[in-house]
Amino acid sequence: MIGRRTDMLDVVSRKLAPFVMLFGFYLITFGHATPGGGFQGGVVIASGVIMLALGRGSKTTERRFPVEPVHLAEAIALSGLLVVGAIGLLLSGNFLGNFLSIGTVGETGPIAFIFMLNVLFGVKVGAGVSVICLKLFEEDP
Amino acid sequence: MTELLLGLQVIVAIACLWMKKPLAAVILLGAFSLLGALLFYHLDAPDVALTEAAVGAGVTALIFVWFIHRTRGGEHQE
Repeated sequence: MIGRRTDMLDVVSRKLAPFVMLFGFYLITFGHATPGGGFQGGVVIASGVIMLALGRGSKTTERRFPVEPVHLAEAIALSGLLVVGAIGLLLSGNFLGNFLSIGTVGETGPIAFIFMLNVLFGVKVGAGVSVICLKLFEEDP
Repeated sequence: MTELLLGLQVIVAIACLWMKKPLAAVILLGAFSLLGALLFYHLDAPDVALTEAAVGAGVTALIFVWFIHRTRGGEHQE
């Protein structure tokens, strides 16, 4: 960290960050039923990481969220999305087509498919925004 | 309600332009995003409201605060 750091910013960002991340996980895992979803949850998780970086300094945060594995997680999630889309193209004729079930209301098939997409997209967005901000916040390159 | 929120957004945006200190301008920008989120919620778009609140008031404001911190409060160096 550079310059002055106030106790208020320190304490608030450190105490608030885990709850913000928890809310992000809630948004991702309940995105099929309530407002929210992969993108929103991912951005909220990334803002938790940014809060941690503001409170603890980017070096400590990078020890907890190392850039290389997070980067790898983003790449794997994007590849997973493409693979799921390709499987849907092969099995049901449309890109990202639902291959788990035809999709009558009340079955678990559509919900499982949307849930899977939400989780993949949440990991992708959260890891991507976190990596962008952690690289921006590096002390001296 | 929609007109009220839009009018408040215009007022906050003009106040944001008039601010001398960068930190005050960033805080007003966060207030602008929050009013936008309220507007989206009022217009029955809770998804968009959530995105606006997370990205506009959360991530953008935090990044701006960080860079004001990095540039020593945005004061001009002689």
